[in-house]
Amino acid sequence: MEGRVYEVTRANRARRSATRDASGSARLVRALLKQITVPVSVEENPLALTTHAQSRVNDKDPKGGGCMPSFNGVRCGLVGLAALLALAQPGLAADPGLTDNEIMIGLFGPLSGPLISFGLDPLQAAKMLYEEVNNKGGIHGRKIKLVIEDDKCTPNDLVSVVKKLVTVDKVFMLHGGSCTAAVAAAQDFVNRESMPMAMLNAAGDNAVFPPTRYVFGAFQGTQRVYGAALANFAVLHLKSKRAAVIVHDDDYGNANLKTVKATLERQGVEIVAAERIPPNINDVTAPMLKIRAAQPDVILSGLYPAPAVLFAQKYAEYGMTDVPLLQATQGIPSPATFAKNVGNPDALKNFYHTWSFNDVADEAVRQKYIKMYKSYYPDRDPTPFFVSGLPSALVIIAAFEKAGKDLSRESFVAAMEQIDVKTDIMAGELAFAPDRRDALRDVFVVRFDGTKQTVMPGVYTWNGKDGL
Amino acid sequence: MFSLLLTQAIASGVVTGCVYALVALSLVIIYKSTDVVNFAGGELVMLGAYVGLLALTYFEVSYAVMFALAVIAVFTTGAIFERVVLGTIVGRRHSAHTELVPLVVATVGFGYLLKGLVRAVPYTEEVRRLPPLVSGPPIFIGEAILQRHDIAIIAVTVVVMAALTVFFNFTLTGKAMRATSQNGRAAALVGIPVKRMRMAAWGLASAIAGIAGILLAPKLLMTPDMGVVVMLAFAAAIIGGFTSLPGCVIGGIALGIVQNFVGILLSPQAIAVTPFFVIIVVLMLRPQGLFGEMIATKKV
Repeated sequence: MEGRVYEVTRANRARRSATRDASGSARLVRALLKQITVPVSVEENPLALTTHAQSRVNDKDPKGGGCMPSFNGVRCGLVGLAALLALAQPGLAADPGLTDNEIMIGLFGPLSGPLISFGLDPLQAAKMLYEEVNNKGGIHGRKIKLVIEDDKCTPNDLVSVVKKLVTVDKVFMLHGGSCTAAVAAAQDFVNRESMPMAMLNAAGDNAVFPPTRYVFGAFQGTQRVYGAALANFAVLHLKSKRAAVIVHDDDYGNANLKTVKATLERQGVEIVAAERIPPNINDVTAPMLKIRAAQPDVILSGLYPAPAVLFAQKYAEYGMTDVPLLQATQGIPSPATFAKNVGNPDALKNFYHTWSFNDVADEAVRQKYIKMYKSYYPDRDPTPFFVSGLPSALVIIAAFEKAGKDLSRESFVAAMEQIDVKTDIMAGELAFAPDRRDALRDVFVVRFDGTKQTVMPGVYTWNGKDGL
Repeated sequence: MFSLLLTQAIASGVVTGCVYALVALSLVIIYKSTDVVNFAGGELVMLGAYVGLLALTYFEVSYAVMFALAVIAVFTTGAIFERVVLGTIVGRRHSAHTELVPLVVATVGFGYLLKGLVRAVPYTEEVRRLPPLVSGPPIFIGEAILQRHDIAIIAVTVVVMAALTVFFNFTLTGKAMRATSQNGRAAALVGIPVKRMRMAAWGLASAIAGIAGILLAPKLLMTPDMGVVVMLAFAAAIIGGFTSLPGCVIGGIALGIVQNFVGILLSPQAIAVTPFFVIIVVLMLRPQGLFGEMIATKKV
């Protein structure tokens, strides 16, 4: 799969790297001539004919063209001349959105609509880190300029925003997306445009598995990470033998369920109930009754916030609170709000959830970032989920540092592939590799009783295999 | 064990179905009195819940006062919409045949307007929940467990139904509204203020939707999109008959129970599609619903 995307973008990279190489105009002209005159096999590169220059050549010269015949010779000479003129103007050779003193980033997330809480504070947190960098003089002499857009967390809006940022604003890179389905919809476009994109805080699996060259994400873990953490915690800490699982019938739920099943079955735990429910369900009586009838010794939930609350209410209502309830992060973005919405302290007597951030374990870290947030946005009290905007910005800043003064989109991608950073805010290292686009594989498990959060011993790590 | 599952499914289904029934009542009252299908019914449910939340959290009033305030606010909103928007559209109509289309489209716009206004309030960014009407330990009915709030939902539904029966059968205003719904021109000829009756019908139906919102908000979390429950109310009304008030109540309760049965006997994944499947089946076999009259062709 990676092969396909990498093939598609090879021609773009070759062209761009040739354009950047200012060591000699002859090399540049040779590269341009080579690009135009060498016919590209459609079988070898299915998207090759989509480039404007190539389609023109193919239209006018069905034999494949070349610079030797007199007409083509004149044309090649003009192209070479144009390239030389372009080289004579400093700055034009760089990637769009990049100058000697500025990097333009397209930053986006849901800033309105029903999913605003996933994006507003995280986006402001990322913006805050960029402003910190600018206040300290920038990165290698370049300050970060942001173009901020609202994607509403819907695929249509996000793709429109991405296209606008790339084609109208001409940003250097994209940083955004809080919802996986929406981000995944833009994946083909950004790869086709060779446009690096780091997700803001979307955690979904289908945007990073299988990995594609220009899309980096899962800075707070994927569903596979959460599923593995819940399953390992059930086995290692709770000594479970009979587990029930409830997830949604979408990509999130499928990824979670596959990983939970693989992890539990590998360790000899029987799955006595596996319920898949629609995200818009408004009565969880039926799945809860089926789980109760299966008599599990632990319940693992990968539900979203609203169904997670309904499920916790019903779990307490049916007197199941002796059975530990383990909830993945996405269902409890704000523990205090979750407790308030559940409205029944009994439901949280035996309740645990995954958490990707170190702010619960380390109060000093939490206070540091809250203080920083309040210094930039004094009128707003952030929701606990604001921390989810930090890791992606930290990694992007680290990659800019690593890429050095001679920055380009390709050198940025290369730097991202070498990222392996330990931050004070995350449960584990944030790392990428040439064949890896999911950043975080370690999470904590936290016990929450409605008022107090207690981090359970150890860090739970996905092995990179279960559920793939 | 299986009998316990079914008993609980029926008990929970009745509770959920009562909420569907209240929203369906709201739709049917408007349809019967003005021939308009109200696509903003769900948003009126949402508005009732948010007005209630606002009253409780900002003005810190008691639950009873909150209930009254929310009902009055939603009544007023519905009545003003009828008078200002629908009344204007009806007054400017050029052709009787196309009259209903702009009215129905106006209700769609009204729904979006309400949702947008609620979203504009910063307090609605997060998912919220109203406290239950009645709290305390659960009540056992045989082997089935019900929360006290569930009992309150059933009780309020019964009270609303009884009040509507009395209102439409034994009060002058109720009889005037029925007369207006049956034949507006004849009602006008005998001196019934038809415009005011239509406005009152919209207000009454909106108030019932608001009550449903307050009952629903402790069970189903509050978001500006919680009005999607109106689709289930449409299903309830279609099952019972879009022209029958008792029919839509029975349809709502039947739908709630069927949803739970489907979830237990087939799969929870099928719960969401059940209402739409039922709508198609009922429309194919008995378009007027179980208790409804044949729908006249002039209606949209």
